Amino acid sequence: MMKDIVKPTVILTAIALVCVFLLSHVQRLTVPAIARRAKESREQALALVLPGFTITGGEKKTRVDGSDFTWWEGEKKVEDAIMKEKIVKGFAFITKSSGYSGDIETMVGVDENGKVTGLTVLSQTETPGLGARCVEVASRETLWDHFRGGIPVRDFADEVRIPWFQKQFEGLNAKEKIGFMRRGVWNPNMRESLLEKNAISAITGATITSTAVIAGIEAGVARLAKARATQAPAAPGGAR
Amino acid sequence: MRYWKELVKGIWSRNPQLVIGLAFCPTLAVSTSVSNALWMTLAATFVLVCSNLLISSIRRIVPGHLRIPIFITIIASFVTVVDLLLNAYQPAVYRSLGIFIPLIVVNCIILGRAEEFAQKNGVLVSVLDGIGMGVGFGLTLTVLAAVREVLGANSLFGYTLIPGMEPATAMVMAPGAFFVLALMLWGMNVINSRSKRK
Repeated sequence: MMKDIVKPTVILTAIALVCVFLLSHVQRLTVPAIARRAKESREQALALVLPGFTITGGEKKTRVDGSDFTWWEGEKKVEDAIMKEKIVKGFAFITKSSGYSGDIETMVGVDENGKVTGLTVLSQTETPGLGARCVEVASRETLWDHFRGGIPVRDFADEVRIPWFQKQFEGLNAKEKIGFMRRGVWNPNMRESLLEKNAISAITGATITSTAVIAGIEAGVARLAKARATQAPAAPGGAR
Repeated sequence: MRYWKELVKGIWSRNPQLVIGLAFCPTLAVSTSVSNALWMTLAATFVLVCSNLLISSIRRIVPGHLRIPIFITIIASFVTVVDLLLNAYQPAVYRSLGIFIPLIVVNCIILGRAEEFAQKNGVLVSVLDGIGMGVGFGLTLTVLAAVREVLGANSLFGYTLIPGMEPATAMVMAPGAFFVLALMLWGMNVINSRSKRK
């Protein structure tokens, strides 16, 4: 009785206690760093999708169609044609859509006219080399350049490296249908004709991923309108 | 001499994947790029060495029928330590390895070494065994990842090799992993059977 029940129980408890002691210390050591990283990456994403905007009122969570919708409101001062300062509003939101092998979570920024100011993919589980190229930054540097001392890197050092797939959403009209154009090959010269047609260049062999990101924007814009409608009466002076 | 043998056996003669045939899941899944492979090696080796160390030092007081729950508790604790540390200090690595860090808990090399080696041997040899097995696991993983990254992504350590060349994408997907692993197993068997004949 003593040997079969008490001794194993004591040993198991002792080992569990040692493990918990170890884990609680590592946890306490890492928690601030993890929280800081999460906050930093969220702030970085916000600065990327709403460039130049100041976020007002912090993060907002509104229940839309039975699930939580996270969004932010921002302001930016711009000078219009007759040199008069006016304030432009911008909105950022987090939206999810089904990609090829899981949810694609994106943060999208739009200004008050529905123009996309930026898009960044927060999380995705697409196929490496195909759909996952939506977060790929076109490499400017080859391995040989790197061995030779990385001269070309310096030329692009202060360039903000946004993946080309995400970059091409800037300036599109989110209120209208976003379409596709020539697939796969993208270069900066295509920008104008893409903007004219309100279209993106899809990733080669990953049409589902590209469609999913567009579907995410459409759903997000619709939910943003609903969220603002529920928010407006509550905020005094907000209904204009 | 014995210590040296316990250290190096994991690299060739008792290589975890190519000879024992364990841990194919992380090997296939994480070998899409060399940097993923190296971080996986580091994480798994850390857990393996720590669990071997702890399990061999308590081997005399662990009741036989309770050993599996005790081993898993210990292994899971070290995996959680790795998980927290990577999340805090290497977020990029943490993101790209994703679910495979927590899955080190069920990496059969670690429980396998605890069962087969650490619970029967002393602390020092168990640690050496853990280091050797970790390095062996990492070598297989890294060679596989290098082949897949060069052919499948036209890059090495994330740097483009030949600018403008379209890579063979199948190599970074599951079939590529199976092809290359099969070739490595074949090569290992050829070399071993030749050296036996001599």
